[in-house]
Amino acid sequence: MSDVIIRTEHAAKTYATGAVSTTALKDVSLEILQGSFTCIVGPSGHGKSTLMHLIGGLDRPTDGKVYIGGMEISGIANSDLARLRGTRIGFVFQFFNLLQGLTAIENVEIAMMLAGVPEREQRVRAEELLARVGLAEKAGSKPSQLSGGQQQRVAIARALANDPDILLMDEPTGNLDSQAEAEILDLLQTLHSQGKTVVIVTHSDEVSRRAERIIRVRDGLVAH
Amino acid sequence: MTLAKLVVKNITRRRGRFVFTLLGITIGIASFVTFLAMGGSLKSEIYRETAALGANLVVIPKGSCGYEQLSILTGDQMPTNISAEEIASIRAIRGLTVVPFLAQQTAINNRPVTVSGIEPAATLAFKRWQVARGAYFARDDENGVVLGAGAARQFELQPDATVTIRGEKLPVLGILAETGGRDDATLFLSLPLAQRLFKSADNVSYAAIRVDNLALTEGYIEQIRVATGLGVVSDKQMLKSVLGIVGTVNITLQLIAAVAVLAAAFGIINTMVAATYERKREIGILQALGARRRTIFTLFMLEAGFYGVIGGVTGVIGGLATAVIATPYISQNAFTTLVKGSGNGTLVDAKVIAGSILFSAIVAVVAGIYPAWRAARLTPVEAISYE
Repeated sequence: MSDVIIRTEHAAKTYATGAVSTTALKDVSLEILQGSFTCIVGPSGHGKSTLMHLIGGLDRPTDGKVYIGGMEISGIANSDLARLRGTRIGFVFQFFNLLQGLTAIENVEIAMMLAGVPEREQRVRAEELLARVGLAEKAGSKPSQLSGGQQQRVAIARALANDPDILLMDEPTGNLDSQAEAEILDLLQTLHSQGKTVVIVTHSDEVSRRAERIIRVRDGLVAH
Repeated sequence: MTLAKLVVKNITRRRGRFVFTLLGITIGIASFVTFLAMGGSLKSEIYRETAALGANLVVIPKGSCGYEQLSILTGDQMPTNISAEEIASIRAIRGLTVVPFLAQQTAINNRPVTVSGIEPAATLAFKRWQVARGAYFARDDENGVVLGAGAARQFELQPDATVTIRGEKLPVLGILAETGGRDDATLFLSLPLAQRLFKSADNVSYAAIRVDNLALTEGYIEQIRVATGLGVVSDKQMLKSVLGIVGTVNITLQLIAAVAVLAAAFGIINTMVAATYERKREIGILQALGARRRTIFTLFMLEAGFYGVIGGVTGVIGGLATAVIATPYISQNAFTTLVKGSGNGTLVDAKVIAGSILFSAIVAVVAGIYPAWRAARLTPVEAISYE
């Protein structure tokens, strides 16, 4: 369980807006081990989310390299990057980001649909996943009929849909009360114990306390 | 979940917008189909009327244009300046059967009706009419009215009833059997009576001619021209010039309808562009979940296409309904009266229906290209960080 699953080498990201360019990440080299539970912490605006976007394949570095499961992603085609996101990484965001028009189970199914899973299989697996996050009886509910904690559990079930190696989360408990937060963290702990690599960007001490390793980001650099 | 199901869910989620955008394309396609249907029945009616006229040649006043020829088929009022002498000199040419007509209009109970002054015996032989009820004219100058079957129904007239034309009370002599043509909606008077009532001396409006030997038609045209100086057209020429007029009208109407469809296309663009703004976050989520740019593009194109197909279907239904419902109410007018006369004979074939739906789908898909491209162009970070 000591293989490196995520690695960055001098990764940098500069955003150019017209004549002004902003450097969000300056020079980040890090390694995250398979099966680990890692938190990325740091003040707002210091590059945490940018780092998460890079290691999740949502964005490419302007300089340096990013490896996911040994594959260097900064140069691969958009469609390959999309496939990588769909199959190897499960995302969970702060604002749950469920598709509002769809039911809980449909939200889980859609991730499998995009990976090309046949419709019948989608339903079976989505039911299993909702049961796993304790929401079997809410399968037909729309996001608006669910509490924040329940929505986030649906989002986690969706992130697990294609059985990814990595769960990448941006403030997953940022909008939850302490009880819901504890429930989500227990769920993540369980997933971690089942072998998932969990990477969480967070402000919460409650969350970072559970991590095996904490990466601090400050001024676009990893603070050692 | 499939992409198609997602498309339907996305579109129907905002019901108000869905309905209004759909109405735009529905109205556009409906007007297109209405005009097409009416144009179609107009054209078939012109063929029918030309055949019903039963003439190989038609003599019309000199300098007449296509409009007069159209009036012969529609039963519109026409100038009456062909004299009895001119008719006599045409009749002097051997090998022709000549029947003169006085084409007028009058009103019964404030509703316009076509009046035709005829030579009863000659016309009966020429048109091969059957009398359904009552009697036909017994003499060529008998005072009375013979009605087409449709006119009798419209004005609820029976044999022995009285009808007032130009202030003169006239008995209804009889009612003709259905001919399926313009004659059904016409009131027939003997020529001398019509000439007296409409103060047209011994003049007539036009004459229909049947030639004994069709091979000599061109020669007859020349002979009539030399003998009278009047205009002569063959049935084929008449058909051609009348269809020409109708074709121009049809094309104009269809262009107007095409503008409506074009406006609807911009409605689709507007709706879909608004959707790319509103659903920016959603697009980002889909991308994070592994959707490729092509998938996002396809999703939006399918949504636009869905509008096109549904709008096409409802448009065709609406258009056909409008054509069927509106046709009888179209006022008397040279161009539309034939449609009215054609009753429920709305002519729309499967090709028109399929073509209109296809047209609608193509317009919608073309309208969807820009919004779909916009949506697909978003990067995941751009889309996901959008608040």
